[in-house]
Amino acid sequence: MLLLQLTLNGVQTGMLYALIAAGFSLIFGMTKIFHAAHGATFVIASYAFYHLYELSGLHWTIATIGAGVAAVIFGAGLYLLLYRPIQRSEASFFTVFIAAFGAVVVVQNVVSIIYGRGFVVAQTTLSSASEILPGLYLSPLVWISVLVAVLFFAAISLFLNKTNMGISIRALADNPELVRTFGMNPNRLSLYVFIIGSILAVPAGIITTISVGVSPAVGHHVVMISLAATIVGGIGSLTGAAIAGVILGVAENVALYWVGSQWTEAVTFAILLLFIILRPSGIFGRAITN
Amino acid sequence: MFKKVLTSGLVTLAFLGSAAHAEDQTIGALFPLSGPNAEYGDIFGSGAGMAVKHINEDGMLSGTLSLMTEDTQALPAQGVSAMSKLVSVGDVPYTLTSFTGVSKAIAPIGDERGVVMVNGGGVGPDLATLSEYFWNVIPLADREMRALVPYLANERELKRFAIVYVDDPLGESILDVLEELVPETGGQLVGSHSVATTTQQFSGIAATLRSQNPDVIIVASYGAQQAQLVKQLRDNGVDQQIASYTAFSIPSMLNLPEADGALFTSQAIDRESANDVTERFFNDYEAEYGKTPSAYVINYYNAVRLFGLLAAELEKEGLEITGPNLLQKRKDMVEFEFVGAQVTFNEDGTVTAPIEIREITEGRSNAIAVVAE
Repeated sequence: MLLLQLTLNGVQTGMLYALIAAGFSLIFGMTKIFHAAHGATFVIASYAFYHLYELSGLHWTIATIGAGVAAVIFGAGLYLLLYRPIQRSEASFFTVFIAAFGAVVVVQNVVSIIYGRGFVVAQTTLSSASEILPGLYLSPLVWISVLVAVLFFAAISLFLNKTNMGISIRALADNPELVRTFGMNPNRLSLYVFIIGSILAVPAGIITTISVGVSPAVGHHVVMISLAATIVGGIGSLTGAAIAGVILGVAENVALYWVGSQWTEAVTFAILLLFIILRPSGIFGRAITN
Repeated sequence: MFKKVLTSGLVTLAFLGSAAHAEDQTIGALFPLSGPNAEYGDIFGSGAGMAVKHINEDGMLSGTLSLMTEDTQALPAQGVSAMSKLVSVGDVPYTLTSFTGVSKAIAPIGDERGVVMVNGGGVGPDLATLSEYFWNVIPLADREMRALVPYLANERELKRFAIVYVDDPLGESILDVLEELVPETGGQLVGSHSVATTTQQFSGIAATLRSQNPDVIIVASYGAQQAQLVKQLRDNGVDQQIASYTAFSIPSMLNLPEADGALFTSQAIDRESANDVTERFFNDYEAEYGKTPSAYVINYYNAVRLFGLLAAELEKEGLEITGPNLLQKRKDMVEFEFVGAQVTFNEDGTVTAPIEIREITEGRSNAIAVVAE
């Protein structure tokens, strides 16, 4: 029963990792921008929900919409006001990385000033587990996490595969010049990618705020998980990032059955290391050639 | 013309003379100002800042006292860099420090350079043995656990203990103390779970704790992590008694509904003691911050006040304010008037204070038992 409990806990964690990683992977895969500030988007969505739901007492639907708007404004704003000017000046990959990292630090400090540096949580009964079988406790959030992740991935998959804009965005990853030749604006498409990627961080942020709680410094952990899942899943593969997120979440929890709790994070990075050595292209990544 | 020049020259000389006599002092502070434990930095800083303000208002020293605070993020490596800066750039004779891991990392630097280090936040028992320049104004974890474990075993009849501890010197030292103390009180340590300092998911630990079925769970962590841990234990059906040490006294723990009923230890502060220092501190703190100060605030107030008392004595005797002189003066002076008590230092640089057991109830904590040492 303990193993089943740990597996189901892992599924909930994994679904959140999948959503976070998918947003990061989408942005990185399509625009080639190493969006280290994806963790900051997560923090902003989480605190916006906390503010509207917990502090202002608004209905959860309004708080969710507010969190989405805040995340989109931040993600899109960062692209337009920070990444685009840097790209125009043809600065290096590292300039973008440092700028993004700086944005994470700024967000962390601004959030600390407004909400304090401690941990905040949005209180709901959804996070309380009940015993559904002897020794097996599950909270409604497990099912909500699975449902939300499936819905989001179905929607984004439909969007990328069945709509003209989605196909254009995929083309952007392969050949931005070709996209331009067909009369489309790569900058505008990149902006859409940032909007979609930022929205993917919102459900994960909200569920984390309810189930685990967040602090201003949580963004760094989010980026680490996103990066690990993106590499394990295969750079540029949304499905890969999603599956890798679930694998990492389940492995982190199930590992407790055999090893001490201090080793669970090590398990995540051991998986990452194994993939880098044995399959550097990741689960669904393109074959790496010289 | 000559008279004017002479007069202004004499005035300048007189001014320079008095400025040289009234020497401004700077002491250091190594606090976490960013990262998941930054909440502690605010708390520590509020106590230290109020003591600096009081010392300057009272003219306790000939010059002005100021605090040079460096961010450690509660991490040893950052602590070493910050300490190096305080010693090399700030040239401070005295610094406040916090967190067991940071304190252990910086102690060799302070010891070598003769800088007094005063801890008011870390509770690892081996902080008592780092250096004669390392002093503690907070009771260390072994003392807190020696108060807590017998109370839980004898008064509450909780015999099956489990511990969730952070994988750093603080957590390991509390585990060591429990492994020794629990069998002594007729109890049994049925589970021990170490977590990395960055771990945020504890539902798996909750599941294993449920299967171990302890009577009481000791939490040996700090900052945002301990609040996340307690919330997730409660959310995942762990309803046993939770207990911890002074680290539970921060607002994010007290305000957490899931922490209701949790017990923690803290040094007992006698607010009613007939002591002007205590009365002034509580009145000013409550007026400025609108809340009752925690033990951490008091510790760092006392740590800065200790510098003020020692440095004032050195100035009276015309001695330079250096680490070695401060150390000698502390050994010479028998008692210090601190907030809450007259305090005497032990040989190893620790203070002895009664410990109280506090219970979290609806956003605040109340003392439910005092264990005298």
